Amino acid sequence: MDTSSSKLVRSHCVGTTAVVYASDYLNKLTGEKIEHECRRQLNCGCRALVIDFSDTKLVNSIGVSILLGIIDVAEKCGARIAFSEVNNETVQLFEMLGLTRHVVLAKDEREALMNLSHYETAPIVH
Amino acid sequence: MSSRSPSENFRRILGRVVQQDFVGRASELERIMVQAEPANAGRGLLLLMEPSAGVSELLRQAYDQLFNLRSDVIPIYFAITPHETTAVSAAIEFLNTFVQQYIAFRRNEPVVSNAPLTLQELLELAPPADLEWIEQLVESYNRLRFGNDDKALVRFCLGAPQRIPSGRGRAFVMLDGSQLAEYLNGAVVLGTEILRVFGRGRFSFVVAGLRRQILEAAHDAKCDFELLDTLRLEQLDTAEAAKLVEHVARRQQVATSEIARDLLVQQFAGSPFFINIFLQAAREKHASLSSYVDCERLYVDELFGGHIHRHFADLLEEISPRLDTRHLLIRLLWEAAAGEDQVSSFEVWRKRLHMTASELEDVLHRLHVQEFVNWSGVTVEAGAGPQAWKDYLKIRYRLDVLNEPRALVVADMLADSLKRAPHTMARHYKQIADAGLRDLISRFNTHRVPAVLFDYQSFTYKYKGADSDAVISGLAAETEFFKLPQTIHLASCAAFFSDMRQICEEDHCLIAHTFEEGSYSDAQQVIWLAADIKSKLEVDLEVTRAWCDRLENMAQRLGFTRFQIWLISNEGFSEEADKLLQRRRVFNSNRQQLGLLAARISETVATEVVQTSERNEFLMVVPMGEDNELIAANTAEQIAKRLSFRPEAINQIKTAIVEACINASEHSFSPDRKIYQRFRVESDRLVVTISSRGIVPANLNGANSGSETKQAAEERRGWGLKLIRTLMDEVEFERVDDGTSLRMTKYLRPQKSANE
Repeated sequence: MDTSSSKLVRSHCVGTTAVVYASDYLNKLTGEKIEHECRRQLNCGCRALVIDFSDTKLVNSIGVSILLGIIDVAEKCGARIAFSEVNNETVQLFEMLGLTRHVVLAKDEREALMNLSHYETAPIVH
Repeated sequence: MSSRSPSENFRRILGRVVQQDFVGRASELERIMVQAEPANAGRGLLLLMEPSAGVSELLRQAYDQLFNLRSDVIPIYFAITPHETTAVSAAIEFLNTFVQQYIAFRRNEPVVSNAPLTLQELLELAPPADLEWIEQLVESYNRLRFGNDDKALVRFCLGAPQRIPSGRGRAFVMLDGSQLAEYLNGAVVLGTEILRVFGRGRFSFVVAGLRRQILEAAHDAKCDFELLDTLRLEQLDTAEAAKLVEHVARRQQVATSEIARDLLVQQFAGSPFFINIFLQAAREKHASLSSYVDCERLYVDELFGGHIHRHFADLLEEISPRLDTRHLLIRLLWEAAAGEDQVSSFEVWRKRLHMTASELEDVLHRLHVQEFVNWSGVTVEAGAGPQAWKDYLKIRYRLDVLNEPRALVVADMLADSLKRAPHTMARHYKQIADAGLRDLISRFNTHRVPAVLFDYQSFTYKYKGADSDAVISGLAAETEFFKLPQTIHLASCAAFFSDMRQICEEDHCLIAHTFEEGSYSDAQQVIWLAADIKSKLEVDLEVTRAWCDRLENMAQRLGFTRFQIWLISNEGFSEEADKLLQRRRVFNSNRQQLGLLAARISETVATEVVQTSERNEFLMVVPMGEDNELIAANTAEQIAKRLSFRPEAINQIKTAIVEACINASEHSFSPDRKIYQRFRVESDRLVVTISSRGIVPANLNGANSGSETKQAAEERRGWGLKLIRTLMDEVEFERVDDGTSLRMTKYLRPQKSANE
């Protein structure tokens, strides 16, 4: 596995949803990069986040801890968040650490975007 | 003059170890060789030795080097031993040694240096060119010997080296063990007399002895300090002491482990004397030293009846020859050391010991010279001396004063020593870890550094998530700089306020006296108060405010008019805390900023990777950090594939290994910053052991403290072990003396339960 500490975080926007791509190993450094990018996107007005794990082979507990922090930040901003293309082993890890209770898991980026757009267009009921 | 000699022709004469085995004193040996150079002719060197720092072999090695050089410098080595009972007999022995070693050098026959020869026999061996002046020397000696003037005889003998005729070489006298000189009987105080005669003798010399005694003797002898150099001989540093343990253990054929080696270094505080006699005892008792238990068993044996026991018993007998007084002295020394207030008056000591003032002065002087007490003339401070001395006193007190059963005292001492061993190592590891901040501040010397290194939030905003190359190039492009002051004095806050010890580790809170621009004026003087706050997360407002208040209060109490507070924490400070820090103009940095600051000031040292393997076992050592846990995880993957583990299980093993490595890196003050991995392949399982040296974390099993919000966040970062237990079939901490060792087993097939 190539450690991707030195790589930049890839991201793009679809409407008001930002898609951020996690690297092959999610640890403290790469986690912080994702966190930084997510905060940046939220500050720029994004209303939803998709974190795509299609390249991610391994996640450590510090990485998971940072993901929880991102979920907290998104919730505070009133933004929704989905994880896409998470491999089975990582899903198991997320389940063990209670992450799946707070986030929508989607098969792939397209499904994640569809899920989020559904929420985006739903009327806000007070 | 070079201290290096071609080893193939090098002859060992007085040295007890071969040149290559003499470790730890290279710079001191070099300094002695410099003293022998023509430029230093007529000058003296005082070797001021810390008790038990060892000096004899250093001088013997210097003798051998000078002898082998064959220059015009004639080495003379003389050790005053307890066998000489008076100053006169010691001086006569010196004369004999001088003539003998002079002839050995002139004949180039090392064997003459060691042979038991009388002056008459030496005359027969004298080279023809020297016979006349040596005969005259012996005749003069014989005349004085049978006179009544002891002082004249002593001075004649000690001054013999200056009688060498010109053109026959220059004597370089090395006198060893003068700590015994003062205890000799008779009217002449030998220590003072030696320095008086040598100081006026026109030959170069080295006088080595206990630092307090030698300095006092030099003042008493009214030495011309313009012609005297001094060299302080202290205990070895950790690396040199470790090397010494390895060399001596090899020489004495004692099996040792790295863990035992490091414990001995710390327990004996790098003392060559104790290290040597301890390993000698191990050889005599055919003891191997692999674990803490091995070391402490032998240590306790030594305290109760070995070399260490004899050393301290002899010293106590010298200090207080009368048995009844010695008994009282042991009691007083122990009670004073163990009591809350270790300082008491001279009068209290006099009453407790039932002595006259002059008798007590004599005893206190000897205790002071050995550095067992600090005696100012008015007050006596007990509790000083090496750990072995304190342990020896304790057992003597319990056996002789309290009359406790010997078996009980032995068992207690062994248990106490064993309990102390991990603490001794933990203290050492913490010192290494803390040395970073202390070392960094001590090296402040008007360097220009990016100001962002002292502002965590700005740094985070600019560089969070950036890789190290990007951070470095970003810092290089910074336009705002801060010029560090020059540090002139650095001490722990605890040195100013002892109650700080209850708040944080000694080196976590420091006070540095500095000058801006390296300009020494009131206007440029700034006192830095730096605190390293231990936290795994960003420090919150409450804790930040408490530290700001504490340090400001400290500065006010100490009367610092200009001061700068600098707070450091592993993960920096929260946004709320930052606002406070900005308002109060407090510098703040996280660990990464600290590392970058250190890198700006000096180069960092690279680490190394070692990998070995055996038939069914793979061993690997990787440095901590740099995502190196992935190397371990990938290795495990390859091995697990050979065993045909399912992909899911392989991923579980990899995750567990990654977590174990992170734990090892995050939770220990590892001295070598390495993670040791063992992969053992069995028919139905893979056993992975991840070890690291350092401190066993107290909260490894889930214990926690602090506020609720902090606890929740800390828990997130404490998931590692929970995760490992879920992912692997068996997880067990192995008992090791030093650090942690986590053994994890994954079975090829799921284990059947006991009911099946």
